[in-house]
Parts: sequence; C-alpha cells; structure tokens
Amino acid sequence: MSFFIKKMSRRTFVQALIALPALSLFRKLPEADVAHAGSSPADPNEIVEVNGWILKRSDLA
Amino acid sequence: MIFDSYEAYRAANFKPKVCILGSGPAGTTIARKLGAAGIPVVVLEAGSREFSDGSQDFYRGSTVGDFYFDLDITRLRYMGGSSNHWAGWCRVLDKQDFEPKAWAPDTGWPIRRTDIEPYLPEVHDILELPDFRPDVPISDDIRWVQLIKSPAVRFAEKFADELDKSRNIAVVLNTYATELAGDGKRVTCARLWSNGQDAGSFSADYFIACTGGLENSRLLLWSNQRSNGGVVPNAAALGRYWMEHPTFEGGNAILANYGEFEVDAVNEAFFSPTLAAMERLRIMNFGIRLIETPYPGVKSLIADLACTAPDMAEWMSFKFSQNLRCAAQLYVAWEQAPLASNQIELSKTDVDHAGVPRIELHWKKSELERRTLVEGLKLFGTTLIEKDLGRVRLMDWIANGEDYPTNEETAGHHHMGGTRMGTDVAKSVVDANCKVHGMDNLYVGGSSVFCTSGQANPTTTITALACRLGDHLSKVVSV
Repeated sequence: MSFFIKKMSRRTFVQALIALPALSLFRKLPEADVAHAGSSPADPNEIVEVNGWILKRSDLA
Repeated sequence: MIFDSYEAYRAANFKPKVCILGSGPAGTTIARKLGAAGIPVVVLEAGSREFSDGSQDFYRGSTVGDFYFDLDITRLRYMGGSSNHWAGWCRVLDKQDFEPKAWAPDTGWPIRRTDIEPYLPEVHDILELPDFRPDVPISDDIRWVQLIKSPAVRFAEKFADELDKSRNIAVVLNTYATELAGDGKRVTCARLWSNGQDAGSFSADYFIACTGGLENSRLLLWSNQRSNGGVVPNAAALGRYWMEHPTFEGGNAILANYGEFEVDAVNEAFFSPTLAAMERLRIMNFGIRLIETPYPGVKSLIADLACTAPDMAEWMSFKFSQNLRCAAQLYVAWEQAPLASNQIELSKTDVDHAGVPRIELHWKKSELERRTLVEGLKLFGTTLIEKDLGRVRLMDWIANGEDYPTNEETAGHHHMGGTRMGTDVAKSVVDANCKVHGMDNLYVGGSSVFCTSGQANPTTTITALACRLGDHLSKVVSV
C-alpha cells in the first residue's frame, strides 16, 4: 500500500481522497414517489416510482 | 336477392315485413336470422358493392373537444359496412362490464352477460372464431385475458352469395334512408334517396336502424326533428353517452422470462383488471396490450434503467443476454366513463348531398379515464414486481402528467353509445330488447345500444346482440 502511495503524485492522492466520499455524497438519486403510503421508507419491498419506472425500493441499490 | 338499385328492387315487387337500414355486421346478421325464420326482410344499403369516394363523402362531419379521426375515414359506407376494414380482434364484453359501478355514474346494463352467452356459438360460426379460453388471474388485481385475432370476416364477401340466393332477403344497394317518419307510436315510413335524387317513401311493418355507431344517432336525431318527436318520443338521451376506446402507448416492460405468457402469432398478450381492483382504485376497465419489443428497443430501455437502478439493470442485462429478447411495449386501451356530454349533434351549417345535416361529434376524455390509464399501468407494474415477472416504465407524458399525444393511435375506431339501452327513458333510448322506448315497431342494432364500452373490441358483442335481436324479432313479427 505504502509503495502504491509513494508512486502516486501528491496531487493525485489528494484528488482521490476528495473524490471518494464525493462519489456517494453527490450520487443523488431522483426522488422516489412512494406508491404505498404507510410503508416504512426502509422497506426493501416498498413500491416506488422513479423516472417513470415502477420499482421496488431494493431495486435502487 | 341483391339489387343494385332501388328501381330494380321495386320492379321485383317484393313485400317485406321488416326493413333493415344498413348491411354491416348487425344488419346482415339480423337479416339472416329473420330470413332463416321465413320472415321477408329488405336491407337498404346506402352504398354500393365497392368503396367509392362519392358514397364516403356522406360520412364527412366535424368534431369538437379532444382530437379525433375524420369521421369519413373512421367507418365505411358500402355493402358490409365497417366490417370491410376491421382488424378482426374479438372478445365479448366482460361479465363485469354489464354491472353498475358505484364509482362511475350511469353504468350498468338492463341485461347481463348471460343474456347474450347463448348466442356465442352462432357468433363463433359467423366470425370464424375458435373457442375462447377462460381468463387467467396472475394476481388478485390483474387477469391475463384472450383477444382472438380472427380472420376479420368481411360480411359482404362472406354472405353475398347466401343473401343473393335467399328468397326471404332482399338487399337493395345505393339506397339511402334519409329519415324515418313517425307518429309517436310507430314509424310510418322511411324517406329514400337513390340515384342522386329523392326516391319517395318506403313502408314496412318494422324498421331496424343498423347504420353504425355514429349514423344511428344522426338518423334518429334528424328523423325526430323532422317528425316533431314522433320517432324517438323520449329523446333526452338520444345522441348522448357516446364512447370510444382511447388507445395510447403507455410504457414499456422488461420481463424476467418471455415464457411466462403465451403470446399470439404477432407476439402480443393482453391483460385487464379484476373487478376487485377496479372497485378498490375506483377506475374503469382497461386492456394492456403487451408487445414483445425488437432488439434495439430493449437496449435503450435497459440503459435507461441503469441510470435509476443499476443492479436491476445489470440483472436485466444478464437476462437479456440469456433470452436475446426480454422487453415489451405496453399499449393501453380503456373503457370510457359514459358521459351525457359526449354526444352526437346535428350540424347547424353543414348538410350532405341529400340535405341531411352532418354530424358534429362532441368528445372529451375525462379525469376518471386519465386515472384509469395511470393507475392501470401502475397496477400492472406492481403485479410484475410482486410476481417477480419484471418491471414497468411509464411513458414520459404519463409520468410527467402531460397532455395526451396527438400522433398516436388515439382510439380504436369503435363507435359506441348514442342510442344506449336502459330502463330509464331519461338516460336511454332503447329497452332491453333494443326497441326504441315508446315505439312499437322501431328497433336499433349495433354498438350504438351499448350502455358501457368495456375494454374489448365491440364486433363480437355487436354480433351477439344482433343474433339476440334477430331471435326476438322472429318471435314478435308475424308472417
């Protein structure tokens, strides 16, 4: 690992550190319309509508 | 006997008991039933043996409201009527279509499906149909239904020889009944137009209007106006409750396995809601036509899904490579809510060559129907998820709540209502036997008597009702 880091330029390393958390931070999914009111938002079987797709919440992984 | 002109018919000195106006599926079927019962019947057909622009011009009209087809292209005015261009898709209205629905005003027929079922064997012979298989429930909400693609019987071609040889049936071509005259109890005569001029009046014991789902209303509206209410004494509903089957591409589906549903010869399968689902969602009946999609459409659909649900798209890609094809287009046709405001009126400014006012059709889709479209597709999508059969994507214009597109199928060319069947004279024109309320000798055949449209193509039900009316008249008319 240390060998790999040594081979990278400092600029590249910093960019990678910035970019990694940003990937998940800025990967914003479109808002889902909950089809079944009253279901728990965390329910993987919840039916949601996203970009016109009728999906299960677990499909959005 | 078939006569090419009214003059030739008159020379034959035929004495009919019954006069049928129109030689389409309803008119021809009723004539054959009466002829077989030994009752002399004349069929007056406004057109000739073949299509002509001149005859078709009588069907021009105008529409007000939602976009609709030109009225002279959505039907045909020659022997055999609109059977000359129908696609041959067959299904009888569902049992639930005849029942009143608490969430949709003015639904429910005065007859049940069981009243026409005894005639289905005859219908199968006439339309050359195999037996229907029962609906298959794929969930509590959705049925996999059958729509038979029949050979599309052209009634003139199939029955011309039989009609020509019959001694009890006279088909008179190029003879247009412009109006009926009546005294509030009986139709006394029909005014005829033949060979480009008035051809006098014509009498028979009974008259049956079978001129089509638009023209029946026009004929009776004009006749009633000319007879000061003497043809349809209770005319509050005349021309009203007109219906179509709006039809649009509603979305796409990616399927886990094509083999789940047996598609027909053109790779299509059909789905409709259960009555329980319609009640719960308070929607009308609908039919989803699933068409297996060619290869390029599948790739773009999976690419679109990848933006939203990458893992699902990956799984679909895997399925795709396994099955070569695994996607479908979804077209939706649905039942219109019967509305008095959807109506046929007589133009105040435009008349045909015989001086009869042309049709002004007022037609608009309702909010209930929009909900039927959207909820229907969502219901189908949810069912595919619950049964692990695939996923559905709505068309953008539906998902975004935009207006209906005007460059699509629009509707099925199915003209229903206008002289609907019922017991309430304020909301119907004919009774359960298709007899005009208050009139002793005037009946109506064809889809203009439909109280509701269901989602099925109408010709099968039209033919069944015509067999039933023919049987009824065979008992009523004395020879």
